[in-house]
Amino acid sequence: MALALEMKGISKYFASTDVRANDQVDFAVEAGEVHALVGENGAGKTTLMSILYGLVRPDAGEIKVDGQPVQIHRPDDAIRHGIGMVHQHFKLVPSFTVAQSIMLGMEPNRGGFLTPNEENRIVSELAERHGLPVDPKARIRDLPVGMQQRVEILKVLERKAKILVLDEPTAVLTPQEVAELMRVVRNLSQAGFTVIFITHKLLEVVRVADRVTVMRGGRNVGSKAVAETTVPELARMMVGREVLLKVNKAPRQPGPVVFAADDVSVTDVRGFPAVTRVSFEVRAGEIVGIAGVSGNGQTELVEAVTGMRALDGGRLALNAKDATSLSVRQRRNAGLAHIPEDRIHVGLNLETNLDENLIVSRYKLGQFNRAGFLNRRSMRDFAIDVIKRFSIAAAVPGGGISRLSGGNMQKVVIGRELAGEPTFIVANQPTRGLDVGSIEFVHRSLVDARDRGAGILLVSVELEEILALSDRVLVMYRGQIQGEVDPATATEEQIGLLMAGAQPETTAPTA
Amino acid sequence: MEGFFSVFTIELFNSGIRLATPILLAALGGALCNKAGVLNLALESKMLLGAFLGIVAAYYFGNTYLGILVAVIAGGLLGWLFAFLYHRYQVDLVILAIALNLIILELTVYIMRVLFGQTGSWSDPSIVRVPDIHIPIIQDIPVIGGLLSGYNFFVYLSWAIAITLYVVLYHTTFGRHIRAVGENKEAAETVGINARRIQTLALVLSGMLAALGGAFLSVGHLKLFTRNMSNGRGWTAIAAALFGLNHPIGTFFASLFFGFADAFSVRIQNVTDLPPNLVEILPNFATVLVLVLIALRETVTRSMARSRSRAQIRAAADEKPGPA
Repeated sequence: MALALEMKGISKYFASTDVRANDQVDFAVEAGEVHALVGENGAGKTTLMSILYGLVRPDAGEIKVDGQPVQIHRPDDAIRHGIGMVHQHFKLVPSFTVAQSIMLGMEPNRGGFLTPNEENRIVSELAERHGLPVDPKARIRDLPVGMQQRVEILKVLERKAKILVLDEPTAVLTPQEVAELMRVVRNLSQAGFTVIFITHKLLEVVRVADRVTVMRGGRNVGSKAVAETTVPELARMMVGREVLLKVNKAPRQPGPVVFAADDVSVTDVRGFPAVTRVSFEVRAGEIVGIAGVSGNGQTELVEAVTGMRALDGGRLALNAKDATSLSVRQRRNAGLAHIPEDRIHVGLNLETNLDENLIVSRYKLGQFNRAGFLNRRSMRDFAIDVIKRFSIAAAVPGGGISRLSGGNMQKVVIGRELAGEPTFIVANQPTRGLDVGSIEFVHRSLVDARDRGAGILLVSVELEEILALSDRVLVMYRGQIQGEVDPATATEEQIGLLMAGAQPETTAPTA
Repeated sequence: MEGFFSVFTIELFNSGIRLATPILLAALGGALCNKAGVLNLALESKMLLGAFLGIVAAYYFGNTYLGILVAVIAGGLLGWLFAFLYHRYQVDLVILAIALNLIILELTVYIMRVLFGQTGSWSDPSIVRVPDIHIPIIQDIPVIGGLLSGYNFFVYLSWAIAITLYVVLYHTTFGRHIRAVGENKEAAETVGINARRIQTLALVLSGMLAALGGAFLSVGHLKLFTRNMSNGRGWTAIAAALFGLNHPIGTFFASLFFGFADAFSVRIQNVTDLPPNLVEILPNFATVLVLVLIALRETVTRSMARSRSRAQIRAAADEKPGPA
């Protein structure tokens, strides 16, 4: 079969971060195939694709499209050679309509003046031709995420792309939307398009791809036909060692209720209802997982529980005492720990050093505080102790933390939050963006805390993570608990339906 | 009280329109920049520079229109310098604007002293003010003629620019690209739109418009230059663009509002015994009021959404337990 794309000897070194993102990478894709590009975060797959799309200039290497050497300096060049990219974070203008978004930069016009009717007609035809129905006049900001992604795909198709690069396309979708996307990708491949599918979810590779290329540490560690490989083998190639795909944990020993939310309602920053009448309990010694597509009220619920946002209604109780209107500090004193979603801006202060970051939640304690002055020596002792207990290898007591890897940053957060032996831990997306090794560490730490007797509220959009860690799973949809499932017996499809808003009693989807 | 109401005359309308013109010209530039996603807080200094260069160049060339041209070109160059420093060196636009506002204020006074030996104000008998245009037919219509005819070309040009800007922004491909850059720069860049060029152009055009507004002050409205002649109109223009929601037509009406507030405060000094200093702050007070209104609009939208949400929660509550 003919090669649609060939990249040879691609190298890229980022001086500012001292990272060799791509090191002599060879990458070849056959025409008409779905080719998965997998690797951990930081393996270099995004850099490689950014080079292909003209967003990053390589230090060395050449690119051939349909056997012809090409120079790609800017996205325009890539588009001209038939390469289209659907970015992980959509590049859409919220106030524009679907047709305006698809035709942006190539609007039909009469002497520079817009012709909206013609524009809508072109988009309707395009959508029909590819079997991807859209309403050309709908505003982007009113569309669900799956639909916005469809707009991005149509945008690329309208630009006559023959090679489509999809960057982590499933990260923001419900399982049903994922299934729909898989169908679309297969159809495109059958219609003769070449699809490069970037992901780190190996099950998706098996479901959709013909061939797969694995990257690790900036190198291509192998390309295989999907039919001739297995998920464990791919995982081994990706990480470079055996991976525990399951978390080992003892059966739960639930104790007394450590946290209770009763009829809680919260509004978001714009004043719209984000959480509506939610009630649940977390007991000592259990992990309660909150599953759901991101943006269904999880963020606001966590903010309400941790004291970052006021409740609009309902009550909270920590260790059987009312906590509804307690401040963040009072809640922490009552046994709360919080591993926030955004470790860089909320979890840590990158401007200050390790010691200060570790005591920021307990600097008022006599141990660190003498009449308003910080006791540097006991801070240092505490830092040394936390580094040892949580094996934060790269951290130096008194040293800066801004250059630590994501995994080590998260270890600092977890070290600080778990060092005080809290009774109730809120962990929001605790492994987002981490490599497999760090994910294992985070999971181990949470399970250890549970076995020690802490109650844990785990919020994650990664269904696999929820299922692996939780003792009970609540599914959130549009600010409400759509249903509770037992992770030991629930299927991914069952949870997926709840995530998409189906009622737990009915089995048929209500789409 | 008769004296009080006597201020509402055709003359008040005329002077409101005249005073609105420099604000409108600069505000259109500000709105364009906001639409393109570049904050332009240097309208004040670009206006002052336009006022100064307009009259100085008119004096040396012996031609008022050449003077205006020089002012406009200088405003454009200043806008380009802004864009260059921003894009090449990532200079913070707010800091840059503050620095420029301070520099131009002192620089114009300095040059005025070096050239003409004056520090307060300067004029020369040879300078000719831009003449008023009396539109045939329209000027003979009662009332309407008095309202619409008899201004100089700056006024009519500013109206034409407002309409043109509206058409360009909302009915041309180029305008759509400007709005895309302002709302999501990355989205525009990934489809091959040159965001840097669009933002540069917006800054250049807004510099030209602000300078044109400044030139109106020195050779269109009066024929002299005074220290700090723009006197905060550049800042009022920013408020007008915000008040007009960065829409050219909205900005037009917002600028009229500020112009009339200005005219009103001038008139009222002639007919009342109120202390002049108190009356002079009226337009500034109006500006603050408008900014508060803009902020309130946000708060009201939010609290309305909030009460809707409460109603929904109540409705959900009534639904959920069912008739038990």
